[in-house]
Amino acid sequence: MEQVVYRIRRFDGRKEFWQEYRFAHEANKTVLWGLLKIKETVDPSLAFVAACRSAVCGACAVRVNGEAMLACETPLDALLERFGATLVLEPLGNFPVIRDLVVDWEPKAARLAEAKPWLVPREEFSAEAGCRQSQAEFRRINAQTNCILCGACASECNKLTTGDDDFYEPFVYTKAGKFVADSRDGAAADHLRPVLARGLWKCVHCQECVTKCPKRVAPAEDIAALRRASIRLGLADNQGTRHARAFAGDITKTGRLNETTMAVKTDGLLKSATRLPFALRLLRRGKLNPFHFPAPVEGIDGVRAIVKAAKEAKE
Amino acid sequence: MRYAFFPGCVLDGAASEAREATVKVARALDIELVELPGWTCCGASHAQDVDELAALAVNARNLALAERLGLPLLTACSTCTLMLRKAKAALDGGLKDKVNKLLAAAGISYAGTATVTHLLWALVGDYGLDRLRARATRPLAGLKVAGYYGCHILRPPQVMDFEDHARPRSLAALIAALGAEPVELASARRCCGFHAVFPAERDAFKMTGAINADALAAGADCVVTPCPLCQMQLDMRQREGKAATGTAGDMPVLHLAQLVGLALGMTGGELGLGRHVTPADHLAAKVGGR
Ligand code: SF4
Ligand code: SF4
Ligand code: FES
Repeated sequence: MEQVVYRIRRFDGRKEFWQEYRFAHEANKTVLWGLLKIKETVDPSLAFVAACRSAVCGACAVRVNGEAMLACETPLDALLERFGATLVLEPLGNFPVIRDLVVDWEPKAARLAEAKPWLVPREEFSAEAGCRQSQAEFRRINAQTNCILCGACASECNKLTTGDDDFYEPFVYTKAGKFVADSRDGAAADHLRPVLARGLWKCVHCQECVTKCPKRVAPAEDIAALRRASIRLGLADNQGTRHARAFAGDITKTGRLNETTMAVKTDGLLKSATRLPFALRLLRRGKLNPFHFPAPVEGIDGVRAIVKAAKEAKE
Repeated sequence: MRYAFFPGCVLDGAASEAREATVKVARALDIELVELPGWTCCGASHAQDVDELAALAVNARNLALAERLGLPLLTACSTCTLMLRKAKAALDGGLKDKVNKLLAAAGISYAGTATVTHLLWALVGDYGLDRLRARATRPLAGLKVAGYYGCHILRPPQVMDFEDHARPRSLAALIAALGAEPVELASARRCCGFHAVFPAERDAFKMTGAINADALAAGADCVVTPCPLCQMQLDMRQREGKAATGTAGDMPVLHLAQLVGLALGMTGGELGLGRHVTPADHLAAKVGGR
């Protein structure tokens, strides 16, 4: 390969346009190297952000062929092999764009602050005694500590793309989850309530955030952990909890899901009655059999014993 | 080829036509499916929201049952595949001993030899598309088929590592091997919304509608998906999806096994094409069958 092409979605503050840049290929370089090369030798007006060049500061996340990644750590050759000689570069998705590949973090930081992403020390801690935790306690929050706020997890989040008025960026849940799980923090509900009010049960489980995170943080797993924590704290009067509990309940009841009762368990009788036209649609095609009550599976006693043992193991 | 078959709750209920089609197609291809005795719900990523350890242990039991049969576990559902593979990764990643203590309550244990695959991977990877092409007695000439992956058959790639999640080729290759014309969907890897259809109904319907609109615009005769949950969402909720996106026009949505069955000469009735909410039974006639 002689030439590399970066096709870049640009924005000058007023209008958006596409521009193609060509430069000579060099082996063992990064995506960021290409951007710097363009800026230094072809077009100084191209705007992008990078600072540490070591996958630490989180500034350089961009979208390449639709996939969010860190420009400074992604090998160019691997991408050329994956996508061919033309790479399509865009600013992160689900962010307002300031210029070219530079996105606006101000509104995101304000949203993040709502989840109180800071330690609220437990009462027993003091300036003199400090704020100690055991290694095991630290390991519970170790993964989330790796978040560098690069924004890659938000770029292709399916829920965020569909509507952000009732949902946060995945990293907001990760940060909230870190402090809820931190043994030194004494205000779990203060971190939980904001995320519960904004979308905790609306994540669609698309796994884009887990896929895109360059630091192996798994925001979708943090969302699941926050859901469990909210149920533990008794913040369980919502559709999401009822739906999840219906699954867990059916597993110990028969081992398998009862679709007929699912809507009633999730919505309550009244709201689920409004789904009657939908149910009729299914009945007509034989997709729903109201008389199908799964019989307990072979070995159901064993299933129940395992679930019971799991509950006891946690206590 | 022999597999321990994990039908999952949906093939046991609302998508029973997918189960019938899967069983018939496997038989026609001399793939032996032994239903896993005593299998239980994979948790569908929801039970996990209530009790993570219990959900893991229940799936460890599923894996241990497959080990008893000495067969690779095969599902026809992307979410089942992901849940079972995630459980295996967690167990192999260090939780095996802890969970085996729980499984002891049922007199069973997980050794680590279980493997989990999906019908799509088994057909493309194990069976082979050349063999499949040779068995297609009624190639689907002229049928434009849009392959829709959805999420869980691809993501997260750390767990679902069959192909590059960013540019999967398996569906298009399979569609072509069956003699049909693969149609590219820009939304092939987007989410259908199924898993949040209760708490985020409005969003889910927008997602559903966008995929249907995309398939219509691409001129597809039908969509095919390896996930029965996606199939249910795109088919049963198509009316709401159309309303949410202001789209007109029906788009039949097939289970993977149904498309394969058509190419193997099976009738629409045998494959349960008449059981979809969005009419799909005309597709059999379109490829010269009944
Ligand atoms: S799994 Fe949830 S939070 Fe993560 S990208 Fe998908 S919708 Fe967003
Ligand atoms: S969770 Fe991962 S992808 Fe998201 S902001 Fe943090 S480091 Fe970036
Ligand atoms: S420049 Fe700091 S993470 Fe890439």
